[in-house]
Amino acid sequence: MNVQVAYCSHQSTPLALRERLAFASVEQLTRAYETLRATFPDSEHVVLSTCNRVEIYAAQDDTSAALTQEQVAEFLSRFHGVSQNDLAGALLWQKGPEAVRHLFEVASSLDSMVLGEPQIVSQVKEAYRVAQDNDACGPLTHALFQGAMRVSARVRSETALAVGRVSVASVAVGEFGKSIFDRFADKTVLVIGAGEMAEETLRYLKDEGARGIVVVNRSLERAQRLAADWNGTARPFEELDTWLSSADVIVSTTGSTEPIVDVARFQAARAASDGKPVFILDLATPRDFAPAVADIDENVFLYDIEALQATCEQNRRQRVREIERAHRIIDEETERFLHDIYHKATGPIISQLRAGWRKVCEDELDQLFAKFDRLDPEERQGIERSVERIVNKLLHPPLEALRDEARKGTPHGLLDALKRLFFTGQ
Amino acid sequence: MANVHVFCFFASYVVALGLEGLAVARRSGALRSLSFGFALAGLIAHTFYLVARSNAADLPPLLSSSHDWLLVLAWLAVVFDLTLSTILSAVGRGVPMGLFLLPVVLLLIGASDLVGEATSPAMSSATDAVRRSAEERALRGWGMLHASLLVFGIGGVIVGFLFSIMYVVQHRRLKHPRAVPNALSLPSLATLARLNWWSVIVSFPLLTLGMLTGVRLVYLSQQTQGPISFSDPLVVGSGVVWVLMVGFLVWLLRSDHVGGRQVAWRTIWAFGLVLATLLGLQVLFKGHTSAPAHRTTAAVEQSRSAEIEGTTRQ
Repeated sequence: MNVQVAYCSHQSTPLALRERLAFASVEQLTRAYETLRATFPDSEHVVLSTCNRVEIYAAQDDTSAALTQEQVAEFLSRFHGVSQNDLAGALLWQKGPEAVRHLFEVASSLDSMVLGEPQIVSQVKEAYRVAQDNDACGPLTHALFQGAMRVSARVRSETALAVGRVSVASVAVGEFGKSIFDRFADKTVLVIGAGEMAEETLRYLKDEGARGIVVVNRSLERAQRLAADWNGTARPFEELDTWLSSADVIVSTTGSTEPIVDVARFQAARAASDGKPVFILDLATPRDFAPAVADIDENVFLYDIEALQATCEQNRRQRVREIERAHRIIDEETERFLHDIYHKATGPIISQLRAGWRKVCEDELDQLFAKFDRLDPEERQGIERSVERIVNKLLHPPLEALRDEARKGTPHGLLDALKRLFFTGQ
Repeated sequence: MANVHVFCFFASYVVALGLEGLAVARRSGALRSLSFGFALAGLIAHTFYLVARSNAADLPPLLSSSHDWLLVLAWLAVVFDLTLSTILSAVGRGVPMGLFLLPVVLLLIGASDLVGEATSPAMSSATDAVRRSAEERALRGWGMLHASLLVFGIGGVIVGFLFSIMYVVQHRRLKHPRAVPNALSLPSLATLARLNWWSVIVSFPLLTLGMLTGVRLVYLSQQTQGPISFSDPLVVGSGVVWVLMVGFLVWLLRSDHVGGRQVAWRTIWAFGLVLATLLGLQVLFKGHTSAPAHRTTAAVEQSRSAEIEGTTRQ
């Protein structure tokens, strides 16, 4: 099995570069899949683009079609207009079993900013779904991503990795929001954007007692849907400035490629307010609020994804024991997955080999029984069993060698040898 | 009980403070419990010491001397620390109150050592129950009221000062989450601002009433063996501090749109100045000055024994 992954995440790449490499919209992803298909036609692909990571998974049946790090870097460089120099060192690379293990770790939220957050599982599922919609998946990526979902579920159920505050939104609300306000029931919550992150954040704010929820989105229909779900009010995007000045909590999760609130805009909003504390949660990538907004006055508390990193690291350290347990599960599952994949790869050859030899035996036995038609059924059965034993004994050494080799990876050389030895011309 | 010395509880509080700091650094509940234990042990020793002092002087600790008065203030601060820590732990908030309060407690105990242990002359004249006149009983009553109001007023100032420091620390952490690690679990800014406001609102009338009763006390002391002068540095200094408090309160009430951090910083400066002035005056002038030389508690005891002996012979 040939699997590769090129990735940059919050652990290795600054937010500024991740923002440039992100696939922020479905349209952008569709274009990316078209380009990948055109450039690497023999490869299956899944692109995972979240606030914290950009990852491109590729898999091929044929070893000669395997992608290289340079090829993926060139694709990213051309697609996003980022120079190769900027990518150097930031784009990490894994292949084979390490690539599989990496995906399992990502899906199990071991590589997340907030360890054990559930959001990443749905993001991986969504990435897989979008890849399917774009006909970018194949048997290998199907197996890989379905395996990742299974491993993620197992890690969650068998470890305490998902206990306590786990998502970016919950850490933001629980660690920072509750350090500013002592209650949320009397606060106006403005949600800009109507994506999944907005829902996640609203869930935690609701748990803390937030009632006055206003959703502003470019698509009023989506805003209305989200507002209805959370018993809030949907307002047109044109009213954004009005709500910026009256909101106590602002959650921004749009897919905009440029900041939607710059310093001048927010300064104007603050001038219209009474200078009360405002808690801004910019969970979008690229950022929706210009970083300098935080410096407008002492009561503006702005947090972007990167600002949450320190808190996430603290949580990570507290859960080291769970990480070790989760890693053990992932190692076990990676081995099992690879074994299954290699077994599937060698299975058809073994079946074909057995069927071919069985056919030869049956033909020869038919000729033999035609010549010796006086043999009684018991004698015939005895001869059939003897021939079967001979075939099994003869097949045993090559099949065992194939199994042994399969434990280390797809035994391409041995498979080719078997094909040439036994199925010449097929 | 008589063997308890200031060093006993001072050392306990130092250990408690060190453990509290370690508990914060290592996020250890066990160390925090140990710190609580040492602070509690210190409080018990502290209580024994004050009771012994009170018995020896035959006066409540608030009246006997500036030394005892400061130790009562420190005792109240420790009681506040332990009570609040217990309540916050019960509601799942492990706020390290001791990290902020215990340094002030140690400062108060240190100051108490510098002011000496002389009994207030005005009060020492009113210690003899047999010879106590109506004026002296009134003096003692006013003295008790004056000292109580001041001690609670200054307690409010200390608490407001510490809540303001907490506000500044919390504000800095929230504004610069990457620069300031989240090691301290502090109340929200809204809670700290509210507590700060209430500490000002409560301490100001207490200090004002303390000032007024002080004026009355100075007037009454004129008829005792140790009259207190209106030009007494402590009286003048307290008046200055009160004017400072008035100015701060007026600014606070008239500032509708001032940020919480600015309020906190001004509280730190104002209350810090109040504390520094009061403690400085106590240390420099060893309590209230008056015409007769101060009599020590032992001297009062000796004199009283002699008088009681004389009365018995008669």
